[in-house]
Amino acid sequence: MIQRIKNIYAYRDMIYSLVRRELRGRYKGSVLGFLWTYINPLCQVIIYSAVFSVIFKVNIEKFYLYLIIGMMPWTFFSSSVQGGSTCIRAQADMVKKIYFPREVIPIAYVTSTFVNMLLSFIIVFLAVLVSGFGFNVQTLLYLPLIMVVEYLLALGLAFIVSSITVYFRDLEQIVGVIMMAWIYITPIMYNMEYIPEQYRQLIVLNPMTPIVEVYHQILYYRMIPTTNYLLLACGASLLVFVIGFFVFTKLDKNFAEEL
Amino acid sequence: MKDLQSIDKNEIAIEVKDVKKKFRSYQDKATSFKERFVNPSRGKHQDVMVLKGISFQVARGEAVGIIGKNGCGKSTTLKLLTGILSPNEGSINMKGRVSSLIELGAGFHPDMTGRENIYTNASIFGITRKEVDKRLSDIIRFSELEEFIDNPVRTYSSGMYMRLAFAVAINVDADILLIDEILAVGDSSFQKKCFEKLKEIKANGTTIVIVSHSMDQMYKICDRLIWLENGHIKDEGIPRIIGEEYLHQMENGRIDRIEEENRQIKDELENKLANEEKAEDSEEVSVLKKRQKELEYNETLKDVCKYYQPGARRGGTGEAKYCSVILENEHGNETNIIHTGEKCRVRLGYKADHKLENIRFSLGITREDGIYAYGSCKEFREAIASQGEIILSFTNALLSGKYVLDLWLETFDGQALDSIHSLMLICVETESDDEKGFCTMGRNWTLVQKQEDCNE
Repeated sequence: MIQRIKNIYAYRDMIYSLVRRELRGRYKGSVLGFLWTYINPLCQVIIYSAVFSVIFKVNIEKFYLYLIIGMMPWTFFSSSVQGGSTCIRAQADMVKKIYFPREVIPIAYVTSTFVNMLLSFIIVFLAVLVSGFGFNVQTLLYLPLIMVVEYLLALGLAFIVSSITVYFRDLEQIVGVIMMAWIYITPIMYNMEYIPEQYRQLIVLNPMTPIVEVYHQILYYRMIPTTNYLLLACGASLLVFVIGFFVFTKLDKNFAEEL
Repeated sequence: MKDLQSIDKNEIAIEVKDVKKKFRSYQDKATSFKERFVNPSRGKHQDVMVLKGISFQVARGEAVGIIGKNGCGKSTTLKLLTGILSPNEGSINMKGRVSSLIELGAGFHPDMTGRENIYTNASIFGITRKEVDKRLSDIIRFSELEEFIDNPVRTYSSGMYMRLAFAVAINVDADILLIDEILAVGDSSFQKKCFEKLKEIKANGTTIVIVSHSMDQMYKICDRLIWLENGHIKDEGIPRIIGEEYLHQMENGRIDRIEEENRQIKDELENKLANEEKAEDSEEVSVLKKRQKELEYNETLKDVCKYYQPGARRGGTGEAKYCSVILENEHGNETNIIHTGEKCRVRLGYKADHKLENIRFSLGITREDGIYAYGSCKEFREAIASQGEIILSFTNALLSGKYVLDLWLETFDGQALDSIHSLMLICVETESDDEKGFCTMGRNWTLVQKQEDCNE
C-alpha cells in the first residue's frame, strides 16, 4: 500500500505531463481552442436557465447564478466519472507496452478535468460579480476544501469505473445512463426546498448533494458551510476514494492482458 | 556516471523465482454483457501456459541474453520483468531503476514537438523534469534530430521517430535495461551508434537483459545466454556454446519441416501421376515427372550429408557418386559452423560402378550473396579404387558469413559424373571484428611513431 503510493509519487512527472498532454491535446486543431472550456458550460447554463426560469418558472432568485455555481462542479464530476470509465482503455497502447503505476492514468485524467473546473470558476466569479451578490471572503476559504473533497470523490469513482470497464465494457454505457439520472437527484436545477420532506433524507445519501450544497452555501448564500454537510461530504468522499483505490489495486494486475 | 567502485558483481540485480505465466486465449471473446448473455459459448477459453516455472538470477552489471524460437516466452519474460504483466505464480525482484527498450515511442503524442515528447516520454520512465533538463542536450544530440526537435512528432519519418524514442530510453541512466529486438532502429550507422552506446552502458555497470535473434549481437554484448524452450529454461551458459547449440537445433528443425513438406508434395505428385497416366502422355505429365525426379534426388542427398540443404540440386550421369559429405571442425566433430582460422576437414566419400581413372574431384564455396569465394580440385590420372574417401584438409580463411558448398566429380573430357549444387550451408564465425570482407589475409599492423621534439 505505502509502496504503491511511493511508486505513484515517483511518477508524479508522468502525471504532470499526461495532464498537460490532455489539456493541450483536447482542443488542438479547433479554431476556438481553449475557449471551448468556457463556451460549453456557458451554453449549457444559458439553455437550462432559459428552460427552468421561463418555462418551469423555478422560483429561485438569480437562478442563473444558482445554476452556474452548481453546474461547474457537476460538469467536473460527471466528466471525470464518464471519461474516467474509458480512460484506461483509451491508453491501451501504453498500458500494454510500458510499465508505470496504472493509477497514473485515472489520476491524470481526473486532474485534467479538475484543472478545467478551476479555469471555469473564472466564469463563476464573473457571474457572482455581475449578479451583484458580492463575496464573503471568510466563506471563500472553504472553497479549496470542498474542491479537494470533490476531487477525492471523483477520483475514487474514476478508479472504480476505469478498472471495471477494462473487464466489462458495458459499464461505459451504464455510467452514461447513471450520470444522466444523477444530475436530477442533485440539487443543481432546484434547491432543497423543492424536495418533498419525506425524500429529503434520501437525497442526502447522494454524496454529490452535500458537495453541491456546500458550493451553494459558499458562493450563493454567502454563509459558512454547515457542519453536517461538510462532514457528510468529507466522509462520503473519503470512503469512496479508499474503496476505489482498493478496487483498482485488485484489478490492475491483468490490465495488459485484458486490453 | 555511476561510481564504478561501488559495483559489487555478486549483488543480485534481478531475481526470478519459479515464475509461471498463463494466458487465456479466447476463441472469440465476448466483450459486452449482451454478447455474454446471448451467446455463452463465446466465453470459452483455453489457458495457455507460456512460462512453466522459470528461475534465474542476474548479477549486477551482468548482461544476459534470452534466446529461443518464436512463442517460447522470451518477450513474455521481458514484459514480466518490466512489470507490464504480473506472474500467476512465483516472484520477481528487481533492484534499481528499470528502463526498457521494448516498445519504443509508446506514449508519444503526435501533435507535440520532439522536445515536449522527450519530457513526456522520459516521465514514463519515472524521470523528473529536472533530470531531463540535465540530459536534454545529450538526448537530442544522440537522436541526431537537432533541426527537427521543435517540429511536431507527426511530421517525423518512422526512422526519426524511432531514433528519438531510442535516444530517450537509452539516456535514462537506468540500473537495469531491458531490450527487446531493438537494434533494428534507423540506418546502419545509427544502429552501430546504438550498439556502441549499449557497450558503454554495460561498461558503466548497468545490468542488461536482451531478447534478440541476432546471435552476433548477443555474442558481443552478453556474458550469459538463457535458452528458453516450451516455457522452460532448456540451457544456460557461455554465449558461444549455448548459441551454437541453439542454432544447430533450429537448423535441424527447419530441415525436418521442409523434408516433411517435400514428402507431402511427392505423395501428391504420385497420386496425380497415377491418375494422369491413364490419359495420354501430356506435357503436364512430363513436368510432373521431372519434378518427381528432382524430389527423389533431394531425398538421396539427405543420406549424403547431415546438413544438406533442401534446395540442393544434383546432376550428372550417376556413373560415380559422392555418397557422404562430412565437414569436420578442428576437434573432428561433424558440423556446419566453423570459425575463421580453424583447421577443418571435408571428407568426401565416393562410390562408382567400376575403377576410376582420369578423374577430377572438385569443391567450390560460394557466399550466400553469390560471390564465388573459393574452389579447389584434385586430379587422378591413374586408376583409383571404385570406392573410397577423399579428404581435403584446410585452414579456414573465410570471414563471418553464410556460404554454400558445391561439389563436382568429372572426367578429364568434361563429362560430369556427379554434381551437387548448394549441398550444405556453412556458417562461418569470426571472433575478432577488425576484419571485413570474405577472407582473412594474415594481417599485421605496425605502428611506427615519429619521435616528437621535446624540450624537456
